[in-house]
Amino acid sequence: MRIAACNTDRNSPSPLVQDQAMRKKPSRPHSRSLASVLTAGVLLLASSCAWASVATTQPPLQPITINLQNKAALRNGALYTLHMCTACHSLQGMRYSSLPPILGLSKHRFKTIIGTNDRHYHDIITSNMPPSVIYAFTKILPPDLTYIARRHSPAWLYTYLTSFYVDPTQPTGTNNVVFHNVAMPDVFAPLQGLQKPILIEGLRYGSPAKIAIGVRPLTRGSMTPAQFDRTARDIVTFLYAVAHSHQQERFRLGPWIIALFLTLSVLTYLLYKLYWRRVMTSEERWWKINKQ
Amino acid sequence: MNSNTRSWARSVFGWFDSRLPISAMWRSQVSEYPAPKNFNIWYIFGSLALLVLVMQLATGLFLAIHYQPNPHLAYWSVLRGIQQDSRWGWLIRDMHIVGASAFFVLVYLHMYRGIMYGSYKNPRELLWLVGIFIYLALSAEAFLGYLLPWGQMSYWGSAVVTNFVTAVPVIGKPIATWLRGSFVVGLPTLNRFFVFHVFLMPLLLLALVLVHLIALHHVGSNNPDGLEIHDNVNESAWPRDAVPFHPYYTVKDLFAVSVFFVIFFWFVFYNPSGWGFLLDKLNYTPANILHTPADIHPLWFFLPFYAMLRGVPNKLYGIMAFAGSFVLLACLPLLDRNPIRSIRYRSVLYKLNILCMAFSFIWLGLIAHGLATEHNMVYGLHVTEVFYLTFLALPFFNRTRSLRAKYIWLIAAEGVVWLIDVWMYSIHAHSWHLMLLTDWIPALYVLLLFGLAIIFPALTRDAPKLPARLTAGGIFH
Repeated sequence: MRIAACNTDRNSPSPLVQDQAMRKKPSRPHSRSLASVLTAGVLLLASSCAWASVATTQPPLQPITINLQNKAALRNGALYTLHMCTACHSLQGMRYSSLPPILGLSKHRFKTIIGTNDRHYHDIITSNMPPSVIYAFTKILPPDLTYIARRHSPAWLYTYLTSFYVDPTQPTGTNNVVFHNVAMPDVFAPLQGLQKPILIEGLRYGSPAKIAIGVRPLTRGSMTPAQFDRTARDIVTFLYAVAHSHQQERFRLGPWIIALFLTLSVLTYLLYKLYWRRVMTSEERWWKINKQ
Repeated sequence: MNSNTRSWARSVFGWFDSRLPISAMWRSQVSEYPAPKNFNIWYIFGSLALLVLVMQLATGLFLAIHYQPNPHLAYWSVLRGIQQDSRWGWLIRDMHIVGASAFFVLVYLHMYRGIMYGSYKNPRELLWLVGIFIYLALSAEAFLGYLLPWGQMSYWGSAVVTNFVTAVPVIGKPIATWLRGSFVVGLPTLNRFFVFHVFLMPLLLLALVLVHLIALHHVGSNNPDGLEIHDNVNESAWPRDAVPFHPYYTVKDLFAVSVFFVIFFWFVFYNPSGWGFLLDKLNYTPANILHTPADIHPLWFFLPFYAMLRGVPNKLYGIMAFAGSFVLLACLPLLDRNPIRSIRYRSVLYKLNILCMAFSFIWLGLIAHGLATEHNMVYGLHVTEVFYLTFLALPFFNRTRSLRAKYIWLIAAEGVVWLIDVWMYSIHAHSWHLMLLTDWIPALYVLLLFGLAIIFPALTRDAPKLPARLTAGGIFH
């Protein structure tokens, strides 16, 4: 059950992701900056003609492949999501008890490995900080994460998680490549280290502006780049699994239901032909008259 | 024992049958209802639409049980209560979502079938008109239901549509407030939309569908040849080119239903959001009255009308343009008065015109799928002109036209197009180079249609003689 993440993300909240025409395959990390500059240049040309009024230069999204069978990734993602993200974000669409089937764990194993933050096993996953406290800090309520992977493509989420950069003009001191003026602070800084943006001359709402199209490491975090990359991918995998929590059931049931109606199609077609054999159409009548 | 049971069952049935016309109705409406024997694939969408209606009622019942029509609860009652907490809730919900879009696919195909084979002509004008009302009721039903999940697109879509009324001078705003029950879309709006969606509109739809069926069975079914089957009957007054609806069309419909369900359940199980067309991604964010989305658009089945609305640079006129397209559909029996029903025996240019009608409608949908840029608005305006002209050009084909009449039609149609353009230029609605870039669309349509009629008169000639009996043909014969 591998789902290739698509790079398109039609309805992003960020005005930055408004323009559809400009999505390019991302390049290898080594040549990332050069390729992104070239890409952005091409995009800039493309954007200036048709959508001059709303054009915004698009940073490239990093590709990610979601594998819902990779239970280790799902558990790792669950661990980070339930103990880090839920500090501020809720997953109100889920209960702790609905996670074990997704993660391939028993209730007991789930409680020991992942844990429920001292909540009841059947409780709704709400944020650990009261919303009023979060609001006082960010002046905005963080979005619920249950269906965030339906709202955004996995590629967008993965790029978002990995591309926070230092921006002193922001109240939080950070900004994001795919989510301009994001209110969320860079909670990954201790793990990933700080990052600085790769800026190019681009457009924002049709006006020339410095656009961040990627990031470069600034300081070192507690994780190696490979480790952090793995963690970010696992979180996105988990969020995808939560947003598509019936995916496995769908894929288990789907073939049977479709096979049932395919079989019925064949049978009813034979029945239909059987009944209609005795109906003579005028063309056949014409054919018989001509034969006699 | 067996025969005893059977006679007992027969006497029970007889008791009911003598008090309720069960078998008489079954005979007259089903087992002895004469249906033309040359129905092709276009004739299955009506019965499939009926199936989907029943399916929507059944799935909707279970959804309504778990749904909470309250802004504080609605979103999570759908996305947790139905989607996660209730057993099979996700399946029922996805069937309802896919079913809504399937309904529109089927109804659009059903309507186009009617246009192709002249099913709106004498004596089926009322049948067609009732059908248009079904389409209106269905549109209302879909629109009302879209608010219920209380997502961002639900909320802002409803806000946009309920604001349509404010375009009416003076009384517009009070009416909009009265409709919503509040100054913005809110709790009273959600409450009444829920009631209308689960009670009023389904009732109205069922009643209209019943009237539609009664009217159909009263005047008899049309067929791909557009010939009247009752013109040729045998000694026992049975039309020679008809078969009893049951079992012939019931087995055929069974086959169609099976194939339909293969496609339907493929979407339900593998693509429930239908590439974002059946359910917008933005609806996975709870409604936020303080955050207007950058791009508000309706679901795919209203996109063509949305393009008309956006194309006209004035709210009131835009609404008139899109409401007018419903009026045009309703007026089809008045516009097309050519006695030949079926497209099979109509002229080449008539066929081209009907093709342009479908093409411009789809094109409008594609335009509205894009962002609300000036570029798309200008395209929307010009393709709307084409869509309107495909209807308004129908009287041209009512009879053979003289060369002078053809020139008059050409000049009149081209004149209308240019008049609208002059109006647009005069109010500086769009930049002139964008207007020039897209002016060719209606101009080319008019030139092609009437120009070809002038140069090649043969293209406007209908078939000289209709066949005496129905002809076989179509995919399933």
